[in-house]
Order: sequence, then C-alpha cells, then structure tokens
Amino acid sequence: MAQSGKGRLNYRCPSCFMRDIDMDMFYDKDKEEYYCLRCQYRGSEADVLAKNELARFRYGAMYERFSFED
Amino acid sequence: MDKLILNLIHRPEMVPEYAEKVTGHGKEENLGRKALLTESLDIFKTQQMLAHKYGLKTTIQMTYASLFNAEAVALAKEHHETYGDEIALSLLGLPCEQFREKYKTKDFCIWMFSMEDKKAIVHDVFEKFRDAFGFYPESTGSYYMDADLINYIKAEYPSVKCAVATCWEEGPKAYHTCNNSWYTFMDGGPWAPWIPSKANTHAPAANEAEDSGIVAIPHLSRDLLACYDGNGSNFGTHPQNVLRGMIYDTKTWEYPYLYNLIDQYRSLAKYNDGYAYNMMFVGPGWMNKMGRWEQPYELLYKSYEDGCAYYGKLKAEGKLVDMTMAEFADHYRAVKGYTTPECALWRDILYGSDKQLFWYCDPYMRACVNMDQGGAIVDLRPYAAKLEWPVGIGTPHIQDASYPFLIQEKYRAGYFTHYAGEGTVRSAKLCWNGEEVDLCLCRTKAQFSHEGEDRILTLDPVEIVFSDLRVRLQTVITFSEGSSCIRIDRKLLSVSKPDAEITVREYMTACYGTTEYTEDMSSLTLRIEAGEDSVSIPYEYKCREAAVPGAEEVSCTIPPIKTRVSMLVNGRNKIGFVREGYAFSPMFTLGWERNLKEQEVFTTWLNLERAD
Repeated sequence: MAQSGKGRLNYRCPSCFMRDIDMDMFYDKDKEEYYCLRCQYRGSEADVLAKNELARFRYGAMYERFSFED
Repeated sequence: MDKLILNLIHRPEMVPEYAEKVTGHGKEENLGRKALLTESLDIFKTQQMLAHKYGLKTTIQMTYASLFNAEAVALAKEHHETYGDEIALSLLGLPCEQFREKYKTKDFCIWMFSMEDKKAIVHDVFEKFRDAFGFYPESTGSYYMDADLINYIKAEYPSVKCAVATCWEEGPKAYHTCNNSWYTFMDGGPWAPWIPSKANTHAPAANEAEDSGIVAIPHLSRDLLACYDGNGSNFGTHPQNVLRGMIYDTKTWEYPYLYNLIDQYRSLAKYNDGYAYNMMFVGPGWMNKMGRWEQPYELLYKSYEDGCAYYGKLKAEGKLVDMTMAEFADHYRAVKGYTTPECALWRDILYGSDKQLFWYCDPYMRACVNMDQGGAIVDLRPYAAKLEWPVGIGTPHIQDASYPFLIQEKYRAGYFTHYAGEGTVRSAKLCWNGEEVDLCLCRTKAQFSHEGEDRILTLDPVEIVFSDLRVRLQTVITFSEGSSCIRIDRKLLSVSKPDAEITVREYMTACYGTTEYTEDMSSLTLRIEAGEDSVSIPYEYKCREAAVPGAEEVSCTIPPIKTRVSMLVNGRNKIGFVREGYAFSPMFTLGWERNLKEQEVFTTWLNLERAD
C-alpha cells in the first residue's frame, strides 16, 4: 500500500473540529477515504461534508443579520 | 452612529506561513521555489486590486523577503503614488533564503528571538527597507511585539509611530486548535488600539513617562465573546477566520456573521465617545489557488471581495473612514487620553443566545463582566503592576507573552467546578436561613452609561428565591477612569419579608497564571488589616481561613506578578475574611460579609496596585 496524500481539498477532521482542533486529514486511495492522524475518524468525502454541516449545530444565529442601532 | 475607522493592511509575504507547508506537500522544502514566489505576489496583487476596487486605501507592510523582490517594491511605490497607500514594514514574513543564510535558524516570530538577534534583525530589515524606498517606515508590526523590541525600534528608528502589536486572546486556545504546534501565547491584551507602556506591551501607558512612543493596534478585530472561549482564528474580521470557523452557508456561500461582526464593532462607538475601530490584516497564504482546507479558491476570493465590498459600501455611505496605520496613529493620539478607557458591551451574534459581556480596558486593568453570571467578573488582568516580562530566547519567557491574570474563568473554572474546590471569579453570595445562592446563577442584562470619569454598568434586577423568602437585587458596577479600582454596589430593592436581614457575602476567588495550569502559590500572602487584630496567612496550601469583624481591608500580595489586590468596604457591621486554598484548589479568596435589609446598599471596592 502506497503512502497517503492530500485529497482534492484539504479537509479537516470534523470530529476534531468539533472539539476546536484543526487537524488536516490525509487520503487513503485504496480505501477511498479520508482519515485523521489524531483520532479514529475516517470517512468518505460525502461523510466529511455531512459531518461539517453537523459541526455547525452551535451556530444558531449563523444565518441571522443583526441590527445594532438600539 | 459615528464613523468606523478602518485599517486595511496587506503584506506581500513571498513565503507565506501556510503556503509552503500546504502547497509544498510531498516536496522537499525550498523557500526559493519560483512557483511559490510568483503565486504569493499574484495573491498580494489581487488583494490590493480588491481594496482599490472598493475605494479603500491600504497599508502595505513589506516583508523582509519582499524587499529582495524588485516587482514587489515597484508595486508598493506605484500604489503609494496612485492610491495613497502607506508603505510600511512588517516583521512578519522574515523567512527567505537570505534570512536563513544569515541567521541559521527556522525561527520566524520576532518576539521569540534573543534580544541580540532582535536588534540585528531589526537593523537588517529597516536598513533594507531604506535601501529600497529611501526612507524609514512609520509603521511596523508582527503578531506580537514585546516591550524591549518596541523600545529598541523606537530608539533606533523614531519615525515609527504605529505597530501591530498583539493578537487578542491568542494563547493556549490557539495552541490547542493547532494540534499543540502553534507557539504564540499572547493572551491578556487589549482588543482595540492602545498606547503600550515601556514596561509591558499589553499594559497601556498611564502617562507620558510610560509611553513607548507608538500606537499599537491588534492583529484583527475579534469577536469578544466567541473568541474568548473558542479558537480566536475562527472569529475575526479576516474573512478567512469566518471560513475557518465554517460560519458560512455551504450552498449559498453567504456569511452574515462577518457583517454582524463588523457592525458590532461599529456599534462600540456608543461606549467610547463616538470612536470605533476595525482592522483587517491579511497575508497571501490563505488565498492560494489550491484552496484552504475545505474552501475552494473561488470561495476564498469571494470572501475577500465581499469583505472589501462591505467596508467600501460603508465608506460610500459616510459610515466609515479608511486610514493608513500612520494616519490612524495621529488620529488616535488626537482623540484619546492616556487614561481614557476602552469599553465594549458585547452581545452574542453567533450562537443565538442573549449572552452579554462587558469588557473594560485602561492602563490599570483589563476586566470582563459576564451578565450571564449575574455581573460576575470573569477575567481580570492587573495592568497596574506594569509587569516587566521579557520575552524570547534567553529570557524566562521564551514563548509566553501573555499578561498574567488574577481571574480567568476558562482556564481556572469560574463558578462551576467538578466535585471540589473553587474557580476564579468575583461574585457574591446571598444567604438566608441556611440557604445560599450565588449571583453567578442569575442571568441578566446590562445598560452602559458614562458620567464624568465613571463608566457605569447598571444591571437589570435579578430575583433570588429562597424556600420562604424572595429578594430582588440590583448590581451596579463602576469603573472610575484612572482609579485602578472597581466599585460594586448591591442594592436590595425588595424583600418579601421587609424586616428580614439577608447576609451578603462579596468575594473574589483568584490565583495567578497565563495558562490553564496552576502556578506555585507559595510566595503569596493573605492579610486582613484590622489594627491589633490584623491577620497574615503565608500561602502554604493548608486550607486556612480567617475572619475579622470590623476589619479595614482584606488583601493578597502576589510577588511573582508584582501585584497586590485588595478589597475595601465603607461603614461598620461588616466582616472581612480571607481563605487560603489547598493543593486540589490552589486559589485564594478575599471577601466581605454583612447583613442587608430592604433598600440598603452594600458597596465594595476592588483595588489593584503594584506590589513593590
């Protein structure tokens, strides 16, 4: 098995992101998956994107535009 | 609303911190790689183009590497002539073949070098700048500039009047976010421009004698709530921050948060006599063609264009003034006095809560009041000590440039602890018939007012419910300019049994440190001043307590940070107390207790001073 490399984009581990750690993931071509060097997360690109959406759960006002005039 | 002042700063880094690591993956390191140099300059050109497209002038902070590049130098001259951009000099972006060859090191953070190397590097960089442009710069900067470095630069190059000198709350949190590999520890500084003291960059100068001679600006304008708890690099006015935090809609590529952040900074004019400030400072690395993390280049480009466009729109509407750094330094000195505080009543714009913090900064302290915890002080930095804190190789603090705290609720628990012990916080407990309620559990809001020398935070009344008694209490917190003192008034507005006497216990639990880990408390001394009944407790982790009715003052002296903190109360009918901590809870507590009836007020003062 050849060494891993970077994928199309430089995805971070969504599991580590949710605990405030930016961990670049590497891509395993044989298994067609990204994996984290720090934790046990691994997943396809689609799974990474889905988990990134999940990571936004705390941003309850992410789509809101506030006024500060008052 | 008054006009927001904007500093927009670009730096032509020829070897961006990120780009070599990311775009060069799988190749041996080569700082002179032509593709890297060409792309870096192209990105800088793009950033300049976008700023000018939206009518904004920039400060071009030339890096050492870019001074060897004739095209970068020519571009800076041309943009200075055409757009009025300032040509300045950054101490970021040192790495290049010439630097490596001379200094034989891969270090790149100016504040971490030995003082001998700092002087040599400053000389090299400033003289190279003069060779390229024929004059010395008026502005400089890095992520952090230690006091010795600023003092040296000002002495050797007096033309310098402005510098990027810290990155707000970049410390252990940033280190953790970067998988414990990003060694920039600079917590505890101002979030908005200030005049650094000669003794400590983070502590503002109180007078001309302490004035370092420059106006400092922070690296980016950060979210004063999200950034205090989370990764600072996710919540700032650099569009990449917002993308790094994934605070955007992946379908529409919209990011209202960026505009909310800018607008909240505009709103700070309400608390600062009409003055409000923003800065956006970007290098080229994040905008490379390969994308940055999960963001493709197109999104990176869009975010920067949108950021510039929004600032440009505000300018067109007469709501913003763009200044170069040197212009801003002159403006700042014209509108701010040494003791003028910086105030920010900040609200949550991200999670959707109603949480509100109040930040206060002057030459004597930086304090944070948390309205979600009943107006508890949850962060306190004793700038009054003007602590000398040399930074870099050969000093006791090679990387750690943070100004030490007395209270830090994230690193030292705050109100909530697990199983045992106490965390750092300044709050009060109300006691009645064996029941006890801490105001930290009373969520409320605050209004700000400015009366004479006082900045006053008036909190909405809270209700405390005991099993057979209800109490309405109001807290008012007053910061008096130049006093080095925080006054807290607690008024019992109403009590369901009018004759009932409620015991109010004002307290401050504190320690000292710059990180999440405890320091040796053995040199501290707790004291109750009470004439012949005075008590001293040298800190020995023995969990001792003392209380003296009618005491005059309670205090703690903290030699490692040359700080003395004390609490005072007026009048009689009061008990001063101190508590030593123990190994599992290495804190100390100062406090006052007295009984209050309906409509009575309990006033305490917290004083900060240099210990020696």
